[in-house]
Amino acid sequence: MKKTRIFLALLVTMAVIIAGCDSNNAAKPSTSKAPEPTKVAQETAVATSSGTASKEAPILASLVSEGKLPALDQRLPTASDVMVENVVDEIGQYGGDLNMAWNGPSDKWGVGMMNEEALFRFNKEGNAVEPNVAKGYEVNADSTVFTIHLREGMKWSDGVPFTADDVLFYWEHMLTKETFGKKIYDAYYSVDPVTGDKALAEVKKVDDHTFTVTHKYPSVQFLERVAIDNKWFFAPAHFHKTILPEFVGDAKTLEITKQWGYEDPKQFLVETGYYFWLHPQIPTLAAWVAKTDPNSDQFIMERNPYYWKTDSEGNQLPYLDRIVENKIQDPSQSLLGTLSGEFNFATMDTTNFTVLKENEKRADYRVIPWTQPTWSSAGIQLNQTTKDPNLNKLFQDIRFREAISIGVNRQEVSDIVTNGLAEPIQASVPEGVIGYQEGWAQHWAEFDTEKANKLLDEIGLTKRDKNNFRMFANGADLTLTVYESDPNKSTFLELLRKYFEDMGLKMNVKMVEGGALFDLKYANEVPIHTEVISVANVAFRPDTLVPLRIITPWFGHYGLYTQSGGKEGVKPEGDVAEILAIWDKIKASKSKDEINQLANEIYKLHMKNQWVIGYAGPTPMLLVASNKLHNVPSGLVWADEYRTVGHAHPSQFFLK
Amino acid sequence: MLQYSIKRILMAIPVVMFISFIVFYIIQLPPGDYVSSYSAQMMAAGDVMTQADMDQMRSNLGLDRPVYEQYAIWIKKIVLHGDFGYSFNYNKPVMEVVKQYMGLTLVVSFVTMAFQYLVAIPIGIYTAVKQYSAGDYFFSGISFLGMATPNFLLAIILMYLSYTWFGDPLLGLFSNEYVNAAWSMAKAVDLMKHLVIPVIVIGLASTADLIRVMRGQMLDELNKPNVITARAKGLSETKILFKYPTRAALNPIVSTFGWSLSSIFTGSTITAIVLNLPIQGPVMYKALLGQDMYLAGSWLLFMALLTVIGTLISDILLAWLDPKIRTEFRGN
Repeated sequence: MKKTRIFLALLVTMAVIIAGCDSNNAAKPSTSKAPEPTKVAQETAVATSSGTASKEAPILASLVSEGKLPALDQRLPTASDVMVENVVDEIGQYGGDLNMAWNGPSDKWGVGMMNEEALFRFNKEGNAVEPNVAKGYEVNADSTVFTIHLREGMKWSDGVPFTADDVLFYWEHMLTKETFGKKIYDAYYSVDPVTGDKALAEVKKVDDHTFTVTHKYPSVQFLERVAIDNKWFFAPAHFHKTILPEFVGDAKTLEITKQWGYEDPKQFLVETGYYFWLHPQIPTLAAWVAKTDPNSDQFIMERNPYYWKTDSEGNQLPYLDRIVENKIQDPSQSLLGTLSGEFNFATMDTTNFTVLKENEKRADYRVIPWTQPTWSSAGIQLNQTTKDPNLNKLFQDIRFREAISIGVNRQEVSDIVTNGLAEPIQASVPEGVIGYQEGWAQHWAEFDTEKANKLLDEIGLTKRDKNNFRMFANGADLTLTVYESDPNKSTFLELLRKYFEDMGLKMNVKMVEGGALFDLKYANEVPIHTEVISVANVAFRPDTLVPLRIITPWFGHYGLYTQSGGKEGVKPEGDVAEILAIWDKIKASKSKDEINQLANEIYKLHMKNQWVIGYAGPTPMLLVASNKLHNVPSGLVWADEYRTVGHAHPSQFFLK
Repeated sequence: MLQYSIKRILMAIPVVMFISFIVFYIIQLPPGDYVSSYSAQMMAAGDVMTQADMDQMRSNLGLDRPVYEQYAIWIKKIVLHGDFGYSFNYNKPVMEVVKQYMGLTLVVSFVTMAFQYLVAIPIGIYTAVKQYSAGDYFFSGISFLGMATPNFLLAIILMYLSYTWFGDPLLGLFSNEYVNAAWSMAKAVDLMKHLVIPVIVIGLASTADLIRVMRGQMLDELNKPNVITARAKGLSETKILFKYPTRAALNPIVSTFGWSLSSIFTGSTITAIVLNLPIQGPVMYKALLGQDMYLAGSWLLFMALLTVIGTLISDILLAWLDPKIRTEFRGN
């Protein structure tokens, strides 16, 4: 009897604990009401063809009739300033959720990019910018004064007007004060072509909806650079005034930091000033605004009632009610969820191409390929500044790079690593992407072991050790060490080792965790790495091709040299120095034609030197969309510069 | 008895202190720290941090201090304020993160445990009583398979079958529409549906183990003189079975109960990752991987503490159950 009682008591305690924890869970969503799963299904079609029907989502229309929300025309910008978004296929209908898989808050951009509103965004082709948040701009003849117009009557997601003051506030109190952990972006500096003097731009308000950016020297690519470096050249002043120490004092900021659950005010300001889209409390201009804690198992963003875009018939966008990001713990769950129809939209690489295609009919989705501006899908980069003097000399020898390029059978790499989807070509700019060069894809791409061995002998790697591996001429051990953090690369590396060993080269793979690899890269300890180059246009974003800072493995500490102004690192020589000289000319250039021509020179030097060697061509990025989801464009370029899936303009996606 | 218990409890304190230091030291051992793993993540997402940014962040988070200093600050806060520090990954105090996942972890653990005992004990008894029968061979075969199959593999197989038969791999603990919904009958049913695979997968190995233990114990007990006496007295077979051998055979199972304490609170890890379960195991795994050291440290400490407590409970239980052990320490 006694035992039964104890058991019962135990049961009750457990029940209380469980219940207690759950109520904590449920209390998480800070501002939103509990979402009702059944509601979504009801609010489907709204007759848009008749023209007389409501031009807004039923959800919002009912809020308006209840008096909880101003009427549509008061929420949109003035009629002439509303942005009309072109739909991909057809005018859509309201309602439904976009269900996606998400790795959680460590993947901030995974939800950020698709829901981003830049001042200027890239056009479909990616070769120029077009106004987005801005209504338009004028620029003077020598590209020093940019006058930018904003949309009259446009509002933040909380209904507060968006004006030039929000731009000025961001510039004066956040960006130039570096409150959110980023240095002032390079785009805001102009360079004197003669002296190399760098000057910071001046930003001035003209009226409520106009401001100017004035450069000391011509800055031809200013808008494109801002569209990449600093998409949001604005911030909700009325919100940030309530948290920035400049306005409320350090003590109050610390108090607010603790209230939000953060420890360190600096980190808090980074989170709120830079990764603002994850926080329900912060007003945005985006189509959907955060409603739940991003750390919970589901991150939900709901439509912004003040969104300032309509379709060509004047229906307020977005069509979809919510974006629902479901937390996953392993990438394969994204695939599984897509196959089972749990997720109606996903983006994937080609690893699972066959599985996706096999189940296309059964799971009722379609696979939409987008081009990636990547140079290859499998390849290596040789660090030109690697620490070991013998290796360094070897890596800088163009014959060595040719030898290890032609000593590998690309057809086999393509067949085994990419299911034959990739072309057996050299790392090169793909056709259709800026920087494409005739013949580059075939450069050193033909498999020729005999010639490879001959080249290695010529370099002087003729001595062999007891395992018949080549040694340096001075008798030192020659080991090519590849550092890798991605376990998925092991098939490729295994294959590569086989070909290297056939040439008598000893290859060693060291698997390290991502964070450790990052540290090793900074310390210049990585001789060979498998990172692939992906760049939409070197003139817009030079990081991977021009050694401006430590970031890309092939130029190692050349980057540190430029970054530190020559105080640290390794002084660039030869063609690398030439690339830097061309880059300086690009920065000081006065015309776009000249910039394009100079950028082409950089690509040509890369083709000649092939510091980055590719063994299989690029594979496409796959967008997997349920057949119920419409207006998803195909054949665009998937690039960080164009904000990946954001380039598809998700606000005009709809479910039918 | 009381003296023995007090002595054991006192001994546990320095053990826990020692473990806490070792734990903190081990977490610091791998190269890099939270900042480098954070910058690598940012870089993968196309966002670049400079050396200065990283140094700044390190000093903000106190990661530039020597290990013993960080340890002292951490342990001081735990002892004085019950504050286990701050999770960098979640941007929340560690206890908040732990609380967020505790409810469902306990649900999964207890349901799994109930499954284990309810399945293993009857089967154990059955296989012992009907030793060498077809049923015995069948269940023994299954339990050997269960012990030998890695959990995560079984999880994948079951998910595959569930997908091919029902078109739904049953990932996670809830369907999408219920994750953030308030509790309702439909949500509870949905949870039950999603619990089937995890419970079978997580529970199978220990179930198989328990079946073997139970069977062995029962076989020992079945031929004891007290059973023969009872049978000679004319008691019914069922009564004999439950009154004598089963009770005696349960002893080792009860006394090892304490050892499973830490696994109840953490839940499984690899299986949970494969099945996308929102429970503690994967949270800790991620914390270790991302060098989110206060979260990882608190977790390891917590697990160590539970292991120590579990052993303590088992010791005391044993001493209470088994007169032989009691006399041994009294002799001390």
